[in-house]
Amino acid sequence: MEQLIEQLKQQIIESLNFEDMTPADIDADAPLFGEGLGLDSIDALELIMLLDREYGIKLADPKAGKAIFKSVRIMAEYIQANRTK
Amino acid sequence: MLNGEPVTVQETGDKMLVELYRRYAGNYPKFFKMDTLSRLGFIAAEILLGQPADQGQPQVQTVILANRSASIKNDTDYQATISDGKYYPSPALFVYTLPNIVTGEIAIRHHIQGETAFYILDKEEELAPIIHSTPFEAALTGWCECSKPNRFYAKLQIIWNN
Repeated sequence: MEQLIEQLKQQIIESLNFEDMTPADIDADAPLFGEGLGLDSIDALELIMLLDREYGIKLADPKAGKAIFKSVRIMAEYIQANRTK
Repeated sequence: MLNGEPVTVQETGDKMLVELYRRYAGNYPKFFKMDTLSRLGFIAAEILLGQPADQGQPQVQTVILANRSASIKNDTDYQATISDGKYYPSPALFVYTLPNIVTGEIAIRHHIQGETAFYILDKEEELAPIIHSTPFEAALTGWCECSKPNRFYAKLQIIWNN
């Protein structure tokens, strides 16, 4: 799980162009939206694309993202349970 | 150049814009989400509007920019995400597939609530008649062009109609 979390942090940095950030700067348990990383709705769409592209997970219901994208750790747990690649 | 004086930079190409961002802004993480055209206009505006204001002159409330290539560089990047057998259209790239986004980014950053416009023109000289026929008190105007990776040109100025 820890390895997946680190990999996911790196993918988030690359997908969202956080050029100043390293994986160590992201708290795995901090909220991704609002406080924490302060992501917006476009970033949410990028994360949905990331799940599809890297892990073969298609979110049929975009509202489901609200629960999945609470933190990097929760996202990683969801990936581990649902990944198809 | 800034007010006729050269500005020294270490980096070249797209990295130069990041260097200038760190020097002149540095507190606006959204910069890193922008396409090159928006980064270019943002930095040029940041430098220009960051200069001490002329006494008694009204604040800039209008933005009029133009270029020849619209948002072609970002359009090409976006196209690459939906071609060659893959189909992962990037929302982050999609939102910059219009050239007038750069005027919006500048307006948001500097709380400019007046008119903003972005014209696609063949030549830079064609912008002057448009500016002269537009009513405003103070406008940020100029040419903001990015046609290929690592190739860009911006020449912005503030014009006051007294």
